[in-house]
Amino acid sequence: MKHLPVVALILLFAAVPWIVPVPFFLHLVIMVLMWTVLGAAWNILGGFAGQVSFGHATFLGAGAYTTMILYLKLGLAPWYGIVAGGIVAALIALPIGFICFRLRGPYFALSTLAVAEIVRLVALNWESLTAGPVGLLITTLPEISFFGTPVNWESKTPFYYIGLAIALGALLVTAVMSRTRMGAYLLAIREDIDTAEAIGINTVRVRVAALSLSAMLAGAAGGFYAMYLRYIDPDAVFSISLSVEMVFIAVVGGLTTVFGPLIGAIFLVTLGETFREHFLVGHLIFYGVFMMVAIRYMPEGIWGKLRLLTGLRH
Amino acid sequence: MALLEVKGLTKHFGGLRAVHDFSFHVNPGEILGLIGPNGAGKTTAFNLISGFIRPTVGQILLEGDDLVGMKPYAITRKGVTRTFQIVKPFKKLPVLENVALAAFMRYRSRSEAEAEARKVLERMGLGPKLSTSASDLTLSEQKRLEIARALATRPKLLLLDEPMSGLNATEIDQATRLVIDICKEGVTVIWVEHVLKAIMNASHRVVVISQGQKIADSSPHQVVNNPDVIAAYLGKRSNEHVVR
Repeated sequence: MKHLPVVALILLFAAVPWIVPVPFFLHLVIMVLMWTVLGAAWNILGGFAGQVSFGHATFLGAGAYTTMILYLKLGLAPWYGIVAGGIVAALIALPIGFICFRLRGPYFALSTLAVAEIVRLVALNWESLTAGPVGLLITTLPEISFFGTPVNWESKTPFYYIGLAIALGALLVTAVMSRTRMGAYLLAIREDIDTAEAIGINTVRVRVAALSLSAMLAGAAGGFYAMYLRYIDPDAVFSISLSVEMVFIAVVGGLTTVFGPLIGAIFLVTLGETFREHFLVGHLIFYGVFMMVAIRYMPEGIWGKLRLLTGLRH
Repeated sequence: MALLEVKGLTKHFGGLRAVHDFSFHVNPGEILGLIGPNGAGKTTAFNLISGFIRPTVGQILLEGDDLVGMKPYAITRKGVTRTFQIVKPFKKLPVLENVALAAFMRYRSRSEAEAEARKVLERMGLGPKLSTSASDLTLSEQKRLEIARALATRPKLLLLDEPMSGLNATEIDQATRLVIDICKEGVTVIWVEHVLKAIMNASHRVVVISQGQKIADSSPHQVVNNPDVIAAYLGKRSNEHVVR
């Protein structure tokens, strides 16, 4: 019974392509789902562990390029590529974590920004692997049938369900993690890192693990991005604006909550699209004003605020 | 054999000799008082032993194993847990969670860690406060929470950094009894304190540090009558200066 609202929500999302078979609307919801994953990824590190990263595009890009390159060079289907993208991003996070977590607070945040720029420049210049600024393009996706019906890659529906599966996975990972010892340790690190060390928590290892888990989700979202949009270049997937957008979604939705990233993504993606439609020039101004109002009046985020008002746990 | 033996411990911050050639030991089952005037190097000595800073030179032997170079968490896992002079609770988390986090070191499952935390908190008189946020406790309660959190790691050696500072006379008496009880249950204690009365009543032995160096190491009674100790705390008489 406790899970009834969650089950209802999942069914509602699953029914969206039948209820509203409008390509633009489906595209919007697909973007919401992708950004939910990215927000959830950032939330694990920035929300639970309190370690602010301004470089999460690194992992999105790593996942996107992994998926692209594996498909274009080795013919590995992108749905496996999404998994591989998550794994590669998680592995890349390990050395980054062991180096950057020697730093604390704002210095860590700055180091993530620096790493992201380095990675972007590497991707831009390593032309034999990434084709540099030209970017990579998928012309056709492999043919596959689902329960006997061939999948139509020109429709939005298959992408919608893949995105939904990844987003549900990301929220599930957050929910499970928040109940384990690892989740408890992340909160301890967020609250006071010296005290956490003093009670026997290996704070470097726990933070690296959180970064790696976070990177895995961002990498999977990146793989999905590559498969869905079928074109990537370094400025599209490694840009700072993507990293910042992840921060916004996690913060506006509600840090340290399970559903916060979903709420944040719903608000910011729809607002972004609406403003873009109505104000061709300067739509970012309205976006910025919304951000300021949201952070000023709901520092705990939209979902965080609702959770306080209703006494819900997640 | 001594539980902890510190040999020639030295920490220089640039030109400042915070701790210099400091040696002492603590026997199992003992309460060792570590006292000294402001700025004598007591907290630096604690930071060195607990791994928060690295000594310039010296050895810190726990049952013969050198702790120098180990990270704070590793030293805690070896059985040496500290408290902080300025309390450092996990402010936004409930009291129970504050202590359960420490108990997680010995217990993997949440239910076992929480059961252990409840036991320790009950023992420290914080039983009725389990779901209160740590930041809403009084100072006296926060000081006890600090000790409870350390105890939940099941230390062999407990390092208490001024657990009495800021407490009133009644609270000091309570806390002193608590420290004595903790020791009776088999935890060895090194106790840094400014409140001399409390430490004189409870300690088996007292080490006095002044300007980074040890100036006395004996029973509490002998320490208070030691002229070097009196000089360190009160200063020397001006005519003695001249004579020497």
